[in-house]
Formats: sequence, C-alpha cells, structure tokens
Amino acid sequence: MPEYSRVNQRPDAVRVAVVAAGIVSPLGFGLSETYATLREGRDCVSPVTRFPVEHCRCKAAGQVSDVRLAGAGRPQLRSERLHRVAQMMILALGEALAQAPGFQPELSVVGTTSGGMSFGEEYYRSLRGGRTSSHRAACLIANYTPQKPVMDAQEAFGLSTPCQVIANACASGTNAIGHAFDCIRSGRYERILTGGYDALSELVFVGFDSLQASTPERCRPFDHERTGLVIGEGAAILLLENLESARARGAKIVAEIAGYGISTDNHHLTQPNPSGSGPRQAMEGALLSAGLSAGEIDYINAHGTATPFNDAAEGKAIVELFDGVAVSSTKGMMGHSLGAAGAIEAIISILALQNQFLPPNINFRNGDAELDLNIVANCSQPGNVRTVLSNSFGFGGTNASVIIRAIDV
Amino acid sequence: MSLGLAGMGWVTPMGSDLTGVWNRLLNGETGLAQSVSSPFGRAYPVFPVPAEATAQAPAHPRLRRSSAISRFAVVAGLAALKDANVELDAEAAARTALIFAVSNGGVIYTKRFYHEIVQSGAQAASPLLFPETVFNAPASHLAAILGISGASYTLVGDGAVGMLALKMAENLMESETLDRCLVVGAEEADWLLCDAYAKWRLLRSTPPIEPFEKPPRGTVLSEGAGAVLLSRGGDIRLEKVAAGTNFRRQSEAGDALERVFAELVDGEIDLVVASANGTFIDAAEDAAVLQNCPKAKVYAMKQALGESVGASSLWQTICGAQCLRTQTAPPDSRRIPVPDAGVSRARNDGQLRRVIISVCGLNQQVAGLRLATP
Repeated sequence: MPEYSRVNQRPDAVRVAVVAAGIVSPLGFGLSETYATLREGRDCVSPVTRFPVEHCRCKAAGQVSDVRLAGAGRPQLRSERLHRVAQMMILALGEALAQAPGFQPELSVVGTTSGGMSFGEEYYRSLRGGRTSSHRAACLIANYTPQKPVMDAQEAFGLSTPCQVIANACASGTNAIGHAFDCIRSGRYERILTGGYDALSELVFVGFDSLQASTPERCRPFDHERTGLVIGEGAAILLLENLESARARGAKIVAEIAGYGISTDNHHLTQPNPSGSGPRQAMEGALLSAGLSAGEIDYINAHGTATPFNDAAEGKAIVELFDGVAVSSTKGMMGHSLGAAGAIEAIISILALQNQFLPPNINFRNGDAELDLNIVANCSQPGNVRTVLSNSFGFGGTNASVIIRAIDV
Repeated sequence: MSLGLAGMGWVTPMGSDLTGVWNRLLNGETGLAQSVSSPFGRAYPVFPVPAEATAQAPAHPRLRRSSAISRFAVVAGLAALKDANVELDAEAAARTALIFAVSNGGVIYTKRFYHEIVQSGAQAASPLLFPETVFNAPASHLAAILGISGASYTLVGDGAVGMLALKMAENLMESETLDRCLVVGAEEADWLLCDAYAKWRLLRSTPPIEPFEKPPRGTVLSEGAGAVLLSRGGDIRLEKVAAGTNFRRQSEAGDALERVFAELVDGEIDLVVASANGTFIDAAEDAAVLQNCPKAKVYAMKQALGESVGASSLWQTICGAQCLRTQTAPPDSRRIPVPDAGVSRARNDGQLRRVIISVCGLNQQVAGLRLATP
C-alpha cells in the first residue's frame, strides 16, 4: 500500500472534528429535510426548466427550488448581484454557523467546478443581444467567477477568511474536505470552513450531454443497465475543528474526519483507467491515513455517477479492497452536483452515522454481473454504521476519498 | 520547516527564457501589445505570448487538442523542473505534488463551446471541446506529462490565486511523503475577457500600464504561465506566506493589504514586487508599502508584462526570486511612470536580502509572501 499520508498516522496526530454542517440540495433545505428524504428514498430529479433542453438527450436534473430559495427569509439573499449558488451557500453556512456560534475559521477550503457560470452565460448572450445595461453587465462579470459564492457567503456572516477554492472537477468537494482535514491534522490550523457548491448551468449540462455521459433515462448507479448520470446542484458546508480544542470549549461534536486519500489517474482526461487503479489508490490512501483496515469500514457512499465507465472502475476497486461492505450511490436521488457532490455526500455520510441507517441507491434493478457489490438497493436500511468512506472522482483523473466516523469510536 | 524555491520557469509576452526575460525586465523593456477585436466591433490591447515562447512544448498526445493555457503551463512547469535539475522518474513523481492556479481558465475553448450552443443549439455542442473547458484540464495534462500520480489540485480565484496556491503548497509540504511541490499559475487572453474587464471599468484602451499613476488609468490583459518548484532546499527561502484576506469594496483593498503587510514585514524589507496594474490596486498597495516598509524599493512588473491574473502571482514570485538570486532589481516603478527601453538598471549588489511579493486581486482577494536569501 502506498504511503500517502504517513505523517497523519503519528500517535500524537491531531484529530479532526466536524462541529457543524449545513446543506441545500435537491434533497431539501437543511439537515432534517435531507435526512427525511434519504430515509424515504425519494427521487428528487425533475425536468429542467432553467434553459432549453429540447435538443439534449437528457432533459432532467436534480434542482434546488428557486421559490424556496427566494422564500428562505434571509435578507442577505435579496441582492440582485447574488448568484443563486451564492444564495445556497448563504443558507448552508447559516445553518452550520447556527450550530457553532462564534466559530471563526482561519481558512476556508471549498470546492466547485463552475461557481456562478450561468452569470457568464447571461453575459455572453447579452453581448449578442445587446440588451443588458452596463451596470448589469459589470455585475455579471464580477459575480460569475467561481470563487465568488463562498466569498459572498462569508460576507453575509461578517467573515473575511482567506479562501482556497479547489476546482478539481467532480472531486472538488471531497478534495476540499480532505485538504482541510490535512491542514488541521498537521497542527497548522485549529478551525477551517470547508464544503462545496455548484449550480446548474447550461454550458455544463450540455457539456455532459455532448459527451453522452448524461442519460435520457433514470439515473441507475451500479445497475447492469445504467446509462449515465443526471446533473444536480447544491451547496454544503462543514465546520472542522481540532477535536481537542472543540472539546475544551464544550462544542458539540458531530463526527470525526479520520482519513483522506487523493490520487491522480493519468489514463485519460475524461475516462478512468478501467483497472480502477485511481479510485483504489485514493481509498487505500484514506485507509492508511486513518490507520484503519478495509474491514473496519461499515458503509461506502460511492461516487457512483451511473456512467458505465465510472461505476465499473469504482466498483472494481471496491470489490478488490473490501469484502461485502454496504455500498450506495445517492446520486440517483439528487443527481450529480459536481463540485458540491463530495461535500453533500460527506453530510449524507454523517447523517448515516448519526441515525444508524444506510442511504439507498434508488432506481436499482439488476446488479452488474462483473461487480459483486453489496448495494443498498432502492430503500434505506437500518444499519450499524460507525465508519463511512465517501468517494468522489472527476475529470482530469482526480480521485478523492474521505473517511468519517462516529466520534465515540 | 524551511521551504525554498528550487526551480523557476515562465512563459511571458517577452518569451520563456528565464534569464532572457529577466534581462529585458532589468532593461525596462515591455511586452509588445497587440490589438484583439471582438466580433461586435470593439478592439482591445493585450500582451500575447509569442509563438516561439512555446515552441519547445513536448509533442505529447495530451497537448494535441489542448488550449493555449495548457501549453503555457507545460512549458513553464518543465522549465522549473529543469532549472532545479530535477528529473521526475516514477518514484520522484509519486513524491511530487502539483498545484495549479487559474482565474479565467480555458476561456477560448469555453467561449467556442458555448458559442456553438447559442448559435446552433445544444445538438451542435462539441464533445471534444467540453473537457478542455474544465478548470483542471491544464493541470491534468501537466500531471500526465510529468507522471504525477498523487496530489494534484487546481485552485481558482482572482489575481491572488497564485499566492493562495503557494500557501497550499506550504501546507502540503508538511507531509513527509512529499519531497517537492510544483506550483503553476496560468492564463490565456481573449477578446471576451478584455470586453468583460472593460465593462468592469478596469481596462485601458491603449498601453502602457502606468503603475501608481493618479488617477489610475486602467490595465492591459496579458497571458502566459509561471511555475516554481518548492522543496526543502533551494537557493531562495520562502520565509512566510500570508494567506491574506478578502475585501468587500475596492475602497477597502488598502485595509486588507495593510493586514497582509503587517503579517509579512518583520525587520528590514529591501524590495516589494507589487501587483500594481493601473487600477485601484495601486493606491492601496502604495499606501501599504509606505506604512509598513517605507525604505523598500517597489517594482510593479505588470507595467512590462501586463495583467495575467492567474499567472501574475507566480511571475511576481519569480521576479522577486530573481532579484535575490542576481542581487539586481529593475528600476523603482514609482519613479519611472512610463518605462522605456534602455532605462539603466538599478543595481543593488549584495544588498538584497528580503523581498515581499504583494498581491491584490481585482475581485476581492489579497495575499503575499516574503522571500529571502539563505
């Protein structure tokens, strides 16, 4: 097994607590709604209405309701300059900070793929149509940049923390959590704000459609007849803190980030090595970093996009490393929220730990004969869940895995 | 932990030879601006990278369809490794991390891809273009060419993103499993960006960039890449990296920079390599220097190379390191408002020991670092 994070295995290594979390996704606004939807196994994918999709193969996505965003009741959300993904971030950060009053992060490490890209699209269309005021044009430019939503969210709560915004494609959210974990574990930081965000954009939606990576059918992760992903959106925030400091100040500890692995698969810009070596290296790195064996993982929240290549590579790596561990991809319910996915799924993993259940892999009919996976098929299940591994893999060969465990382990 | 700059490489509007470009900067030369036109009848000046600057890009399959930004990054990255005499075999590559800094990314392909959607509908969108629009595509190409199989991160941000990448590298190098970290910043120019920055009222219609002029007259965009190889040795020490902060309004940039300088200034500072680019940044930076290190010389290299956003922090860092390496600095930018070719260089033989790289982005981020001779 390669030595990715050996430094983290020192007996005196700092432990890293999750002290709060907040989430907005197609599954719901906030932790409670998200949990209820997961238990129910509801399909939250719906027809796309934000832009024309008649010429796309795929016509559906996991979407966050604009009506609900507008009605969320926070005065900070009203500014016309705010992109809707910034609004999602404000709500997610607000929920997290409400659980950890006075939390002052020294650093923010968050993931995204395209931030407020739809503002850039609006700007480009306005050039051709010539119908946007100069004020609006300047506003679109200043606010389409990918780092802006997290800065807007911080600003809404009076924070001016430096932001490292990771754009490692679909692994961004998990990379952000992992790097934040490494920073605290190294002893250089006490408190870090981490998470991920992305909003539906025409460019990205059509991009995946052009690659035929998205499906005109239902999203069926790990199914023998899987035909591709559906895009999603959302925002999720986790507040991480040195466990000892958090305990000393009497903070509520939600969970512990125990390990992180990262790898780069150089096989192809958009396709994983079919051997599954990239995902395997990331998962091995996370286990090593946590000082755990594969047998100590109770549940894997898989990347599971439902594309034939991704699920095959990830499934192969899981089968090689683990022996019958419960696996599900929750993307069938909410779509693939790209840079937000890793953070959203980390929170789903925390909900599984807190509520002792296995989130479902919906739309599942027949398992892939090539992959002997223990899929949590279609319905959530009660489970003895103490330690979870969450995967995210992306274009560019970026692979990331984090291990999250219940705090009393 | 003591980190150093073991190697450096850049691709700039004045070429890609480290020493050659450096000598031209010392001589007060500037890049050659060209006009780019939008299809809507507007023309903007940019400092483009000359074709010969990337002629040595390897004939690798990953670069067959890649955008200019990827070629800039690969050439700069390979040059930094060569400068450090580092050859990455599989074992060395596994102990090397890559951090990539970018602001606008592969804007040329992104514009082409979206243009096809707008012009002809989604069915016309090219699956060949889309992957190159993803922010981490250049990093992926560079990692593939170098064989890096472990940590690879792409950071996005404004002109301060390169500095944030150096901070991330400093954090990553805490791990004993890494021997070095290659930090690359890159950007490509296009009329679409010029149009956007013009509407943002940050661009001027013709060169030159006049740093520290009052009132500020605007900047000129450029393109290219900068790369530095960090290791636990190296001939230039990375004494401190300030991850910085964010400002809400342009009028608050000075306060934000003040905090960065307060963190970085510790004893005598000989030189500040500034990010002044002919915009609101200049006054904020000038005030921070006067307040915190009034005796320091100030060099604003964007007057020569333009505003390359994602690449700019790395260019500034290389410039600062070259000042320390060669014990020579270009003329003080505050006293030479319009640099002309042939301006005599300011020599500081044996006197340059500590340099601050000050970075203020156009979209709310500030950061900085301090370099020193061993």
